[in-house]
Amino acid sequence: MSEAVETATAEQEIDLAGANEILDHYVDMPGALMPVLQAIQEHYGYIPEPTVHLAAERLNVYSSQIFGVLTFYAQFHLEPRGKYIVRVCKGTACHVRGANRIGDTLKERLGIGHAETTEDLKFTAEYVACIGACGMAPVIMVNDATYGSMTVQKMDEVIEKYKKMD
Amino acid sequence: MVNLTIDGKQITVSRTATIYEAALEAGINIPVLCYAKKLLPFGACRVCLVQVEQMKGRLIPSCTTPVSEGMVVTTTSEEILKVRKTVLEFLLVNHVIECPVCDKGGECDLQELTYAHEVVTNRFQGEKFNLETDEVNPLIERNMNRCVLCGRCVRVCDEIVGYGSYSFINRGFETKIATAYDRGLNCEFCGQCVSMCPVGAILPRPFKFKARPWQLKEVDTVCGYCGNGCTVTLGVLNNKVETIRFNDKIGVNDGNLCIRGRFGYSYVNSEERLTTPLVRKGGQLVETSWDEALQVVADGFKQAQAGLGILSGARLTNEEMFLLKNLAKVAGTANLDHSGGECYKGVTEGVAGALGIAASTGTFPQVEACEAILAIRSDFYETHPVFGMVVNQAVKRNDAQLWLVADKRGKFAKLPNAKNLLHRPGMELDVLNGLARVLLDEGLAQTEGVEGVAELKQALANFGSDQVAARTGVEADALQSAARQLAAAKKSAILLAYGLPYTAYSRELGVAAANLAILLGIPGRDGSGLYLCGEKANSQGAIDLGIVPQTGGLGAQAMLDAAANGKLNALYVVGEDMLTSYPDHGKVEKALEKVPFLVVQDIFLSPTAAKAHVVLPAATFAEKDGTFTNAERRIQRVRPGIPLPGQAKTDGAIIADLIEKLGGNLAFTGSAAIFAEIGRNIPVYASVSFNGIGPQGFVWGGEILTPSRRRLQPIGGAVPVEGAFQLLTGSALYHSGTVSTRAKGPQAVVAEPYIEFGREDAKSLALKDGDLVKVAGNGVELRLKVKVDNRLPKGVLFAPYHFAAAGINRLYKGEAAVSVTVSK
Repeated sequence: MSEAVETATAEQEIDLAGANEILDHYVDMPGALMPVLQAIQEHYGYIPEPTVHLAAERLNVYSSQIFGVLTFYAQFHLEPRGKYIVRVCKGTACHVRGANRIGDTLKERLGIGHAETTEDLKFTAEYVACIGACGMAPVIMVNDATYGSMTVQKMDEVIEKYKKMD
Repeated sequence: MVNLTIDGKQITVSRTATIYEAALEAGINIPVLCYAKKLLPFGACRVCLVQVEQMKGRLIPSCTTPVSEGMVVTTTSEEILKVRKTVLEFLLVNHVIECPVCDKGGECDLQELTYAHEVVTNRFQGEKFNLETDEVNPLIERNMNRCVLCGRCVRVCDEIVGYGSYSFINRGFETKIATAYDRGLNCEFCGQCVSMCPVGAILPRPFKFKARPWQLKEVDTVCGYCGNGCTVTLGVLNNKVETIRFNDKIGVNDGNLCIRGRFGYSYVNSEERLTTPLVRKGGQLVETSWDEALQVVADGFKQAQAGLGILSGARLTNEEMFLLKNLAKVAGTANLDHSGGECYKGVTEGVAGALGIAASTGTFPQVEACEAILAIRSDFYETHPVFGMVVNQAVKRNDAQLWLVADKRGKFAKLPNAKNLLHRPGMELDVLNGLARVLLDEGLAQTEGVEGVAELKQALANFGSDQVAARTGVEADALQSAARQLAAAKKSAILLAYGLPYTAYSRELGVAAANLAILLGIPGRDGSGLYLCGEKANSQGAIDLGIVPQTGGLGAQAMLDAAANGKLNALYVVGEDMLTSYPDHGKVEKALEKVPFLVVQDIFLSPTAAKAHVVLPAATFAEKDGTFTNAERRIQRVRPGIPLPGQAKTDGAIIADLIEKLGGNLAFTGSAAIFAEIGRNIPVYASVSFNGIGPQGFVWGGEILTPSRRRLQPIGGAVPVEGAFQLLTGSALYHSGTVSTRAKGPQAVVAEPYIEFGREDAKSLALKDGDLVKVAGNGVELRLKVKVDNRLPKGVLFAPYHFAAAGINRLYKGEAAVSVTVSK
């Protein structure tokens, strides 16, 4: 196990200060694994492996157990994610109004399909089932902003807009 | 108690029983798959479904449902069978059918259930996993395509081993059992998961394609490694030990084993075993006949007379040790000792002085129910892993409080509730004295009927919590709260392992541990115990049989000194590679070179044997008949599973031959007769006959040994070790003594010597795994391979003692820790 920890540490240079601070807050709280992992993800944008082993050590659970939790819930991400998460709705309404074309455009322009991230860590694509805005189908979200009645052209505009941003 | 009816049978069982357990007690067998006796109920497989009159409308899993008063249970009906069959169909949807090439074939629970329920077709179809087999390590193969998700491996690794390699990962159909980040297995390799897997998903690799289970002859015997005395069932085919079979029916270990017991057997089959006697002629060891070899030895011994020294290892059987003692008598020498001669003094002087008995006072299984456990010396799990698993269970299942008096953050320190009283190297003694002082100061000590209270109080004048804290680095608060909570516990245990690499303060630590035990009222109290555990399979036997310095005779160290000074005429070494295992290599080497006549009896041509004038080929535990006494006084039967290689003889046979050659007359032959003779000489062995030793062995003195006295012995503290780096030596988990370095299993995981650094030191010295460093101390410099781990505090280094090549005992001369310098 320890060897695995070391390889991982060597491969991923992660500043553990943030995770330690989160753990300081929860360390004496029984059953705090979920909020700890959520806070770690909030802090790093994903769950870096060294933080898993750190949490295991400090919360007295096994790394394997944490990994079990991380892979059970869809909300946790084990790889770094883009600054902008582009959620392409593929629910029924969006689907019939051409969601696939919207997804394809994203793939063509940025080279990323579902759950993939651009190399510059700027964009991550996510195909989601329904985001509850069927009236404006097809719809996408970029982080918290919603864009409705999407077309290929509008998609290009949105992509360009975020490309120009930091 | 609760009354219920199962299949029309009226039964009364404990209210904590499950329906399954109640049925089992009544002789009714409900099929199970995920259930395992030693694990907590889980209910994953649904094979054990039954009908309960009071819970109509659905079937009830019997392995997780507790019994209740008046319950009416039906275990077999058309409906139940139909549902069970469907459950099996579901399980078989994902399970790949590879039975012809699966090593589990013939003893696979799933195979047997499928057969019993005649599941010939499957109404369901689905995807099978096509996962790669995990064969990263050489010991445990995981083929997860065969997994039925019963979780037994996950649970045993957590509940009993306390390592936590496995977890269920992913969700729904994708669920599988994996390690963190789904990597290859990298753990303690105890193989508990192998023993628990009901199917062929986790298998022992060394056994792959070696034999079908039904071809194996099974021989129940006792593991030859450590003082835990685990039952090992040899799986023998064509006179070769091919595997160790799972056996939770007999013995003290509940089927649990460590890597040594489960995978460390291969040395018995080794091609390098000694098979003929050797005699030195013209400077060379040459093969000879037994007749000549024994004659040469007998002549040498006759010539040496009282100048003969006999040094035994602690892996001979009781019967062999008894013969050895007789041999000493016949040869006319009083120089007799075993295992380094210092390390067991905690028992023979410490505990014996305190309680009048030289042994542990309780038995291992009782520790599971202890409320408080104090483990002295951090390597306890390493020296006695299966007893360590009992401690794991006490902590994990029963919320026992665990204190460690330790110089590292070892395995135990990671357990929940574990409080590590981490001290500077070599300062255990001061911590124990500090605890005793708190008990006395705060009136928590049991002093009724205890001798020597005033003297001890006086001796502990300088062991106030603050003083101890300053010397040892253990905080005063931690010390006080440990003492208070230990005093409050009704059932408690004190554990201390001893062995060749732990000779420093061995007597003193035994005294301090016994003092503490007396003050806590442990000796003789139900459920409590003071455990001093020998490193080797028959360490306790060696003490019981008196393979210790005799009146007027020399002990091991004195013999070596005498030999080195040309004052010993001959040395007979039985089953010990002193050059590797004894502290102070230089002294041992000089002794072996100076002694005019050296006889070594062993199973391998060890570095010690290579120096001998005569080498006698002996036997392993797997070839012997007799008894071992484990660290809790349990006398257990050792049974031969395989014949001796070549002309090798058992140690007992060789010793008996020598007695005869020396003109002695043995009135008894055979293990049973010798055991009876032992009973005539050693009263505690008299209450059982050789053939009366049952499947659980025989614990001499009973489960709780009542001390004949309670005498506190005044004791001082340790001398702090100075220097920026302090080297500890000791036992690594994967090895035991030196013989495990000839066994493929332990060697597969830890193949070579190393020196361990903590992260902090590794960082500041810019060292990483595999680097070579020069370590110098005691006027000797060694080059060792670096291993970085998170166990060691700053300035503390650790190197295991098992390896001949490392020469750790060139540095280590019996100190608690050696002050060393480190350079690249």
